[in-house]
Parts: sequence; structure tokens; C-alpha cells
Amino acid sequence: MSHPPDHGVSRRSFLKGSAVAGIASTGITAATKAAAGPPVPDSFGPGEHEISLLVNGAKKQVKVETRTTLLDALRDHMDLTGAKKICDRGACGGCTVLVDGEPSNSCLMLAMDAVGSEVRTVESLANGDDAHPLVKNFVKCDALQCGFCTPGMVMSSIACLEKRGKPTPDQMRQDLSGNLCRCGTYGRVMEAITKTANGENK
Amino acid sequence: MSANDNNQPRATEITVGYKALSPSQKDRLKKIQVNPEEGDAPPWDALTNYKTVGTDVDRIDGMQKATGRAKYAYDINFPDLQQAMLMRAPIAKGVLKGLNIDEAKAMPGITAVVALKEVGHKIRYVGDVLAAVSGKNLDLVRDAIEKIRAEYDTQEHNVDYLMDEQAPLLDAKGNVDEDWDEHPKVDAALTSSAHTHTGTYRTEVQTHSSLETHGNVCKWDGKNLEVWASTQATFGVRGELARALGARDIEVEAVDVHAEYVGGGFGSKFSAGIEGLACAMLAHEAKMPVKLMLDRFEEHTSAGNRPSSLMQVRGGVDKNGKITAWDWRSFGGCGYNGRGGSVRYPNYYMSGAATRRKHKDIACDTDPARSMRAPGYPQGWFGAEMFIDELAKKAGIDPLEFRLRNDVEAMRLDQWQFAAEQFGWQKAREKKNERGARYVTGVGCASARWGQLGRHGGRRMRYGITCRIHQNGTVEARSGAQDIGTGLKTVIQMLTAEELGVPADRVRGVSGHTSDPVGPGSGGSTTTPSIAPAVRHAAWLAKNKLIETVAEHLGVPKKDVTCADGKVGTLSWTDACKLIGPTSIEVHGERYPNYRDKPFHPGVCGAQFAEVRVDTWTGEVKVTRMFGIQDCGLVIAKKLAESQVIGAMIQGVSYAVHEQRIMDQRSGRMLNGDFLRYKITGTKDLPDIECHMHSVANGHNNTGAAGLGEPPSTATAAAIGNAVFHAIGAPVRHLPITPEKVLAAIASK
Repeated sequence: MSHPPDHGVSRRSFLKGSAVAGIASTGITAATKAAAGPPVPDSFGPGEHEISLLVNGAKKQVKVETRTTLLDALRDHMDLTGAKKICDRGACGGCTVLVDGEPSNSCLMLAMDAVGSEVRTVESLANGDDAHPLVKNFVKCDALQCGFCTPGMVMSSIACLEKRGKPTPDQMRQDLSGNLCRCGTYGRVMEAITKTANGENK
Repeated sequence: MSANDNNQPRATEITVGYKALSPSQKDRLKKIQVNPEEGDAPPWDALTNYKTVGTDVDRIDGMQKATGRAKYAYDINFPDLQQAMLMRAPIAKGVLKGLNIDEAKAMPGITAVVALKEVGHKIRYVGDVLAAVSGKNLDLVRDAIEKIRAEYDTQEHNVDYLMDEQAPLLDAKGNVDEDWDEHPKVDAALTSSAHTHTGTYRTEVQTHSSLETHGNVCKWDGKNLEVWASTQATFGVRGELARALGARDIEVEAVDVHAEYVGGGFGSKFSAGIEGLACAMLAHEAKMPVKLMLDRFEEHTSAGNRPSSLMQVRGGVDKNGKITAWDWRSFGGCGYNGRGGSVRYPNYYMSGAATRRKHKDIACDTDPARSMRAPGYPQGWFGAEMFIDELAKKAGIDPLEFRLRNDVEAMRLDQWQFAAEQFGWQKAREKKNERGARYVTGVGCASARWGQLGRHGGRRMRYGITCRIHQNGTVEARSGAQDIGTGLKTVIQMLTAEELGVPADRVRGVSGHTSDPVGPGSGGSTTTPSIAPAVRHAAWLAKNKLIETVAEHLGVPKKDVTCADGKVGTLSWTDACKLIGPTSIEVHGERYPNYRDKPFHPGVCGAQFAEVRVDTWTGEVKVTRMFGIQDCGLVIAKKLAESQVIGAMIQGVSYAVHEQRIMDQRSGRMLNGDFLRYKITGTKDLPDIECHMHSVANGHNNTGAAGLGEPPSTATAAAIGNAVFHAIGAPVRHLPITPEKVLAAIASK
């Protein structure tokens, strides 16, 4: 929603504030990457720029504005709608993708800042009916209801498994603490992670 | 009686009830007479030998959801899709004096602008919709909205219902400080009670917080409108949009609504809403498809909520621990329309008491209430169940024992006993906290109740299901109603598979397109109990057609052919289906009204137990463990049913200790309209939760399913409140149970 500018916090200033909080709490690498000088297009400014993103192993050319988030680029420019826009403020984890292996809130990252990084989305976990064991275990454990948080939950779970191998319950709670679910699937998500770590439903 | 006998006798004897919950209990089975209408499928009952129903079948659309392939309304894309937003009023009360959309309209990339209020219209809350804009992307739309000039005559607003002149007087501690009107019966009962008690209880506004916000994608083709909606009522949205567009002089011939996947609703998504109408109007003006989804702040502030409540109870108990007097007055803190704040309480505890119940809704200048998962119940259950614990304490009776003495619902008496054993109530309740310990634990319990046995449709129509059997042996069963995450598609699949005697994976359950047969809106836990009997009827009709086909082929009488266990007569299911040919068997099943005969139980029952750990230094409450038992008539998809009960309990934890809408009286604006400051339960707050699905053959129609969404959400906050009371020895009578309230309660001891 939008208010006349004199009456509310503008989106940009708000987003900036949240972005800092999000980075601090989840260890997202967007800011540090920018500082380290990743490959970026030559010019910035108003209007659209063509950039190349590496998404799920494929190079994608997209035309985005400097202010376009990675989430919007994925959803609106590449039709990769697995990552969801739920809070658009880095508070819910629904847009979680892996950027160079790190779980990241794609709503808090500008598309341009993802240039040169490897982006993995939930769509990479299945090829037709052949899906990653974690995905199968999500279904087996009924770790989803309405399913809207699920892609983000799956990506945070993948990151947890890749980082920890066999995560303890406390480690799972920690790694999933940025993902909100309104239907109440948390317990079964952790079951699905445990089953995957134990090699079930490969 | 044979299953393929169409001319069944009107009266049928069936067995209803349930098997003993534990070795220490008895079977509660009995025979009753029911009178199904001619043409309906014969009833299932407690003696039915289910093959699929009640087992753990995977959610039919689980793979789509877990791989991100499921397309929600929010995910619908078209090459020329326009993005849209609403412009909302920043003031809480006033009159619109001017609205100029010309500059916005002229901006490059902007494809449509519509004004939705006219000069002179009232502004009723922060977020009242003024206009809508569509354009190439949301950033451009946001820029354009900033160019819309609106002027207002502002009026004094109030966003706190307790500040309203209609609100009751409160004392310094927040207790209702008003005399009760005389009531001879109640007054006499209170006077003669062995113990009496009075308490004031409060709950705060909770927002639905569905993760997919409200919104739609609209696409016109001539006068036909296609809508992808995030909704709990596909048919409601269809009717509402057709009517509203007609009223706006937009000619509509047909509206088709799709809601194959819906990212939660919890009672807030029945109407197309102003956002739906705006989307359709923008798409009409832009002549391009338009997507309009609310953002999170709008979702919190303009899409409904569970209203706040204030309850005062006084009651009395006799020397045997029976409640003899119950005097209840409640107040609902509502939005600008002053509606939807009513509160219910568990009336099965005080059936022998002199009772009075009064309620008043109080308006303030905020977003109106909408039904939210068991509207009025979690509030009232919190007040009443906590009052009961306080009353039991005064009478010197264990709270569970007190409930067993007063609860008149026989089924729940078994549940109380079973759940208490599973939870380890007695030991946990008797455990004493060490004096002066920083962390103290406590346990509490509360009941659950709901009464939804399903509806058959409207006055002149019945809900339906299309069932098709194809020559390749696959089956599809379709409903136009929506699956909002409860598992309707899986329920349709499992019931069809059961009736046809085939494995579940042969059947595709489809829902969410208004081109399919009519079903109810998903509210009040109506969907499964309303649809299930129609699913069965359709599958039963289709089965009879297949039996006819096979009987003809084999040259035997129909009555000699059965369809069960993957066989039709002497043929395998696959071979039998080959006889169908290229034109599939297609039947329309319908939802017959529930039997007029008295069912086993008029609603559903449940009981929940909670354990908390309280940090007496910080006041923080951690819910550590919960056990819930819940019946929903016939348990169809067991794994999914458990998910729903566990989910309701997690939402209840959230309501008990986290959730609260905080309004700023000065600006009239919600201060925590996001997920950073509006806290909902996350993984770190998650208790160990166990639930037991209590399957009951209820005998109210051919399937006997009852609604499940709401019942388990009635009990949780109350059980947690009671556990905190047990832990710290003083009641926190105001939700959410936040640290400062806990510390104040400890200090007041």
C-alpha cells in the first residue's frame, strides 16, 4: 500500500532499515559482496538495465531497474514463482533462495547485487517427478498445509542440511527461525529434515 | 444391504459411536435407525471396513507445493501482466474533500487509474481505499500513487474501544467496575453458592496473517472475466464480482474464478473485497491482465481481524463442586462497523446453573472484524476456562476433576480421561515448584467444541461433485470449491478411492475452479463435511455405471457384480475400465441433506493439555508441551487431519503469548503492521505437540464427516492461560500473556 509521502514511512527508507536488520540476523552476504566488488554492469541510474544472472545453473538475461529486488526478478522476469513474496521485508523467510550456498532473503537483495553469484531456487530441487529426498520427505511428513511458506521452508532446510549434515533439534530451530508458517507445520518440517539426514526416501 | 441397490429401504439400521480410547475405557457403540433419502449412497458406519479412509495417504498436491510448482493467485503471470496497488487514506476518520488522479494517469508506464471514492465520501479508518493504479511494474505504480492528490476534512478519531463512551467503566487494575443489574434467579443462586468468584478477562486484536495476502489476477476476454483469486469462496467471489461490476456499468457475461491453491485464509478471505473489484476494473480499463495483491501492512490493517474482547464473569459453585450460578457479560472491540465482536463460552459446564449472558459490541475507527478461525470462541474459552480454574481453586478441587463433574458432554468425559493419561496430568499437576526457583512450571487444560456437520447447499440447490472414470483406469473427482490448505483435494481423492475400491493414487481430486460443481465457501469448518457426502454419492453412482458395463460384458446380472479391492466382478479394475471406451463414465453426485434422525453427537469435542515454563525473573512464558485430542466425526485423511489440529494448537500458542495488534491513538495507525513487530510463533517457540485423532461414526449422513478447522483452535490459549496460573499461582487474565503481565501477576500475589 502507499500513502502520500508526507504521511508514512517511505518504502525505500523502511526497506533500508529492515535490510540492515535482516543481514545482521541471518548473515546474508549481499552487503559484504557489494563491498568486495562483484562484477556489476557498467552503468546505473533510472530505467532498465540488462543483466545476466546465474540461476539454477543456467544463465538468464533479464532487464531490470536498479531498484528491482532479486525476488521480483525471479518471480516477474523469469517466472520462477516458487520463492514467495509474503512480507517483502526480510521478516518471514518466504522468499528464501540460496545465494552462493547461503540462505538469503531474496526480497532484501537487489537483482543487480546477485550478478556474479550462483542463485539456487526451489525449482532446482525437482525434475519432473524426480525430486530431492528432502522434498519427498516434506510430502511424506505432511510438512505443509496451505503450502505458501513451503518453498522458503524447503530452501532453509536444504541449507541447514548442507551446512550441518545431521542437525540437532536446536540447530534446526535456529536455522528455520527466520521462516514463518501460519498453518503450523514447523514440527513436521523438522521431521522431514531429520528423515532426510537419516537417508530416508532417497 | 448391497451397495449397488438403488431402491434402498428408507429406514436403515447403522452402528454409531467409537471404540474404547484406551484399555481402561469402554466401547461406545450403539445401533440407531436412520432414514436416507431415496437415491443417496448407503451410509458408512462404525462397522465399515475401510481400506483407504483413516490411513496416511500423502497430500495429493504436496509435491506441487514443496517444489514451488503450485501456482497461487500471487504466482499467475502473463506476458503483458500489469501490476497494481491501492491508494489508501492515511487518516482514521474524516470526509474526502478532493481526489485528483489526472497526473497519475498521464505517467508513462501507467495503464489504468480508477477512483474508488468520491468527494464527500466518509473515511472510516487508516487504510480506507481511495483509488487503484495499474502499471508496468510495482515501482512505477508506487511512483504514480504518490502523484494522486487527496484532500480530507479530518475528524476526531478513536482507535481504542475501551475509550468509547459505550465501554464499561474499568478500575485501576483494568477490571470492570460496574454494578450488575438485578437478576433474581442468578442473584439467588450466587447467594446460596458454597463458593463464588468474579473475574475480568481481556483479549487483544489478532490478525489472520495469512501468508498469501488478499488479491487477484483479472483478465478480460470481451465481456468474460477470468479471475485467479486468493479466496476461501470461489463461488462467492464469482457472484460478488458479477454483481458489483454490473453496478459499476461494466457489462459482464460470465465470471470464471480459479483458486487451485490458496495461501491460507483463516476466515478472512470470503469476499472479493474492494481489492478484487479494483483489480477487475483496472483490467477492464487497461485492456490487459492485472495483478493486485495486498502488501503485508495492508494485510494486517485492512483485511480483517479477530476482534478484542472484554469479559466479566461471576459464578458460584455448590459444596459438591457443581456450578450453580453463571453470570456473564462481554464486550467486543470492533472496527468502524461495530460488528463481529460477539463472544461464546463453553456452555456444557453450566447446564444446571442459573445463567445470564449479555454482550455488547463497541465500535472504533479501525478495520472491521472478520470471522477468524472459530469466531468468538478462543476469546470466550480463555475467559470462561480460566474462570473455571479460579473457581475450582476456590472450591479446593483439581481443575480436571472439576471439569469431569460439570461437563455434560459424554464423549468429552472419555477424552478428558484419555488425554490426561497420555499427558501425565496427575503427576505434572502435583509436582511442586521449588520455593524461590527462577524457572517454574505449570500445567493446565481446556475443552474444545464446534458443531459443524455440513450443509447440503441452498434452498433450491445442492452441492455437487463430478466423477469420471476413464478407460485407462484413472478416476477424477472434481469440486468447484477451494482447498485452502486443509486438504480438500486429498479428502476427495481418498473418499472416491474408498468407494471404488482402488488405491488412492488412481484418483485425482480436483478443486478450485467455478466451472466445476458448486461447493460451499470454506468457513465454519464446512467444506469437508459438506462435500464428503457428495463425493461418496458421485463415486457410488460412477461405480454402479461401471458395474452395469461389466455385467453387460460378462452377461451376468448386475447384482452379481461387485466392485471392490481392485476388481469389478471377475475382471481386474484395469480390464473393467477398458470396457468404458473413449467416452468416460461421467456422473454428477449430489449432497443430500443430513439425516433428520438424531446423530451420535450434535457436534465435535476435544480436550487439550498444556505445560509451560515461566521465567520468574523476566516474565517470559515458554509453552513446552501440549497434548490434544480431537474428534471430527469420520477421520478421512489422518495425516492431514493431524496437521490441522497441530497447526491450530501452534496458532493458539501464538494467540496466547505473542499476538497483539498495537494501535497508535494519535495517528490511528497500526504500529506493528509487519512480521518484524507483529510476532507470530516460530520454530524457537514451538512446544512438543502431540495429538490424537478421535474417529467417531456419527451417523449424520452417508459419510459422517464433521468440520475440523476451527474446533482445536478454541482450547489452546485457555489451556496455556491455566498452565501459567498453575505455574505462578496467580492468574494472568489478559491475552497475550506477555512478560510484563506475568511479572505484574507475580508481584500481586
